[in-house]
Amino acid sequence: MAMAELAAQPRNEKAVKAAIGALAAKFGNRLVTSQAVREQHGNTLTWIENQPPDAVVFPQTAEDVQDAVRICVQHRVPVIPYGTGTSLEGHINAPQGGVTLDFRDMNRVLAVHAEDLDCVVEPGVTRKQLNEYLRDQGLFFPIDPGADASIGGMTATRASGTNAVRYGTMKDNVLALKVVLASGELISTARRAKKSSAGYDLTRLFVGSEGTLGVITEITVKLHGIPEAISGGICPFPSVEAACNATIATIQSGIPVARIELFDELQVKACNAYSKLTLPESPLLFLEFHGTEAGVAEQSARFGEIAADLGGGPFTWTTNTEERNRLWQARHDAYWAVIGLRPGAKAFATDVCVPLSRLAECVTETQRDIAEHNMLAPIVGHVGDGNFHTSVLLDMNDPAEVATAKAFSERLVERALAMEGTCTGEHGVGQGKMKYLQAEHGEALAAMRAIKHALDPQDLMNPGKIVAF
Amino acid sequence: MTSLLKPRDGKDVEAAVHWALAESKTLEIVGQGSKRGVGRAAQWDLSLDLSDLSGVTLYEPDELILSAKAGTPMAEIEALLAANNQELAFEPVDYGPVFGAGPGRGTIGGVLGANLSGPRRIKAGAARDHFLGFTAVSGRAETFKSGGRVVKNVTGYDLCKVMAGSWGTLAALTDVTVKVLPRAETEETVLVLGLDDATAARAMSAAMGSSNDVSGAAHFPAPVAASLQAEAGAALTALRLEGVAPSVVHRRRALEVLLKSFGEIAVLEEGASRDVWRVIRNVTPFTGGARALWRISVAPTRGHEVAAAIGEGAEYVYDWAGGLIWVALPATEDGGAERVRRAIAANGHATLIRAPAAIRASVPVFEPQEPGLAALTRRVKESFDPKGIFGPGRMYAGI
Repeated sequence: MAMAELAAQPRNEKAVKAAIGALAAKFGNRLVTSQAVREQHGNTLTWIENQPPDAVVFPQTAEDVQDAVRICVQHRVPVIPYGTGTSLEGHINAPQGGVTLDFRDMNRVLAVHAEDLDCVVEPGVTRKQLNEYLRDQGLFFPIDPGADASIGGMTATRASGTNAVRYGTMKDNVLALKVVLASGELISTARRAKKSSAGYDLTRLFVGSEGTLGVITEITVKLHGIPEAISGGICPFPSVEAACNATIATIQSGIPVARIELFDELQVKACNAYSKLTLPESPLLFLEFHGTEAGVAEQSARFGEIAADLGGGPFTWTTNTEERNRLWQARHDAYWAVIGLRPGAKAFATDVCVPLSRLAECVTETQRDIAEHNMLAPIVGHVGDGNFHTSVLLDMNDPAEVATAKAFSERLVERALAMEGTCTGEHGVGQGKMKYLQAEHGEALAAMRAIKHALDPQDLMNPGKIVAF
Repeated sequence: MTSLLKPRDGKDVEAAVHWALAESKTLEIVGQGSKRGVGRAAQWDLSLDLSDLSGVTLYEPDELILSAKAGTPMAEIEALLAANNQELAFEPVDYGPVFGAGPGRGTIGGVLGANLSGPRRIKAGAARDHFLGFTAVSGRAETFKSGGRVVKNVTGYDLCKVMAGSWGTLAALTDVTVKVLPRAETEETVLVLGLDDATAARAMSAAMGSSNDVSGAAHFPAPVAASLQAEAGAALTALRLEGVAPSVVHRRRALEVLLKSFGEIAVLEEGASRDVWRVIRNVTPFTGGARALWRISVAPTRGHEVAAAIGEGAEYVYDWAGGLIWVALPATEDGGAERVRRAIAANGHATLIRAPAAIRASVPVFEPQEPGLAALTRRVKESFDPKGIFGPGRMYAGI
């Protein structure tokens, strides 16, 4: 569906007005219709235009969510769930208007079951907030997308991060959900048992559904013990290919690496400039190993050997926290370092993922493409998963630059699909990637649409995302 | 005797489903039939036998993925992987012996359709977590694909997860792709002897919360342990460590230190360790036999309370650090359904894996669902199979 069509969705002004009236009666000053707040809730972080909702409601309980959904559905007005607004593909835009449910006030950690290694949270809890809460108990929640996103949003977008190679993504770490359906019913998808095989796996149907099947009001996630020891370090390679091959060899040999992240030369240069470092300006792998003291030392040593065999190294690593943080500082500052390459520009992120064996080829071809089009676009990759991002620096007000970047992004997706990869490894479909879904999934779209129709027969749950109705 | 449809490829499957749809026939999807006894006792018009859809279609050891036709025997896949020092990390339970048949049966499509996983699930995840992509024929007789060859994607609804554990009631899988992983170089098992169930739960929880990367945590109460090792006679709590030899050794030492306050400790070297975990994986203490077999899933620290609450005549073993309980009960009356479900008290779920058809016809086999969830289940079923031709009634009456 083209963007022009998205903008031209039908709106029933009378219904919107009636719904807002009913919501105002129920929510009072927890209903906001000011333009600034509405626009802030349609934030997209891309060239997709801002499509604000008609109102924003701040629920405090699941019953509030049920009430809001019932009122909206009764008036046939769309409902858009909102966590922290850090999604990247227009997930929270309101192309047909409607009511955004902002989970700012539903940010309680409801229970921590330390011995069972799980906890129950409301959707507005952010990942950093949760980890601060858990720290005293020696536990942590491993999924770390770039932003300090909400657990609700991360669940809805099936988020992942730098730890995915060891701890998986949200799909592997959500145990149960409470969800308000389009009917206004509140259901629990599973019980707290580690395995949810009581019937179809409805928990994971909602994980990654981007708010299009219902509104998540409570999440039970798996936790992990904070490792006794962490070793981390950096390792330069003569080429992106050598770094990718080292990654494959590491994973294939069963070394349980926790993080393995690739920087290309340009990203390293950017980090050196921004963080005042003297990293070797060649492709670089950042690594982390989690486990016992002896275990991480042995894994680090084995990785060092693999790297040396492939012409890389030396692998500089340490188990000392401050030292490690210093080495990893560049990774943490990557985004700001990129912006520093071209002050005033915005960074547009791409997100393809390919089979591991095609990763080197895909990254190398993409670098060539970037050079041919005179773009400034450093590359960072979660290479253990075959997933990498380019950050295209551009002036969003310059139509020629935007057009170049869009065309680049399309070529990149086509390249990934031709290598049997996917158009999005972790950012999601939202509005931005809908058109690629047909190319990638073909007939599966009909199956997805059938599910959408079955669960949301009036197309009111975050409409205009993932599948056209 | 149910008549048989035996397609040779995906096109045949589509044609068969098309025909069944036109003739209003219901179909039971089978591979080798090794799990045929699981589910409510219901009648279907024909069997859709997928065992001719067989063969590994793509295996790239470097890439750690494998694609195969749905009817490919597990034995073939496991042998191929073993030859390359790889494995399916979710360690699927082999239900053959549970139903009195030989070991090494089942197909990859069946394993995924039933979402089978073994002891390593607590570390590596279940079958569905390794299920990357598939081609299937829906109840609309439409062939569709989902997922692919990458380990991570966020392209819409995760249909692999919905297919896993759907027991052949949503669509007929014709081709599947799974993640494979390197096989651990070696393994050892730390045994803690003589613990009661509650103490064992605490010991397993301590081990799981440590940095020792435990890949199996099971507990055999004394009566079952006795059937394992004639001379033991005491309960056994088993914790598995896998990896390269030096790493296994130092983690084993760390675990011995951590657990010595719980009870006497013994260590099983590689061979004996593999034997013990095969016993746990395949529920060997309860294979064959006429007793009803329940599979109960609860929060790990509650496992021992639930088991105790089932009462007289129940024998059980714990896997997944106490979160999975295999319970054998006399196959009389309701096969223990009433007391099992009362013991869980809505804090987990129980599946009746093995029982005579008469019992499976009269009590729910899968955990009964709340009305809201049941309605949602029905809608998901209808979105894949609107006419209800695939195994209607196998999971829930009327669905």
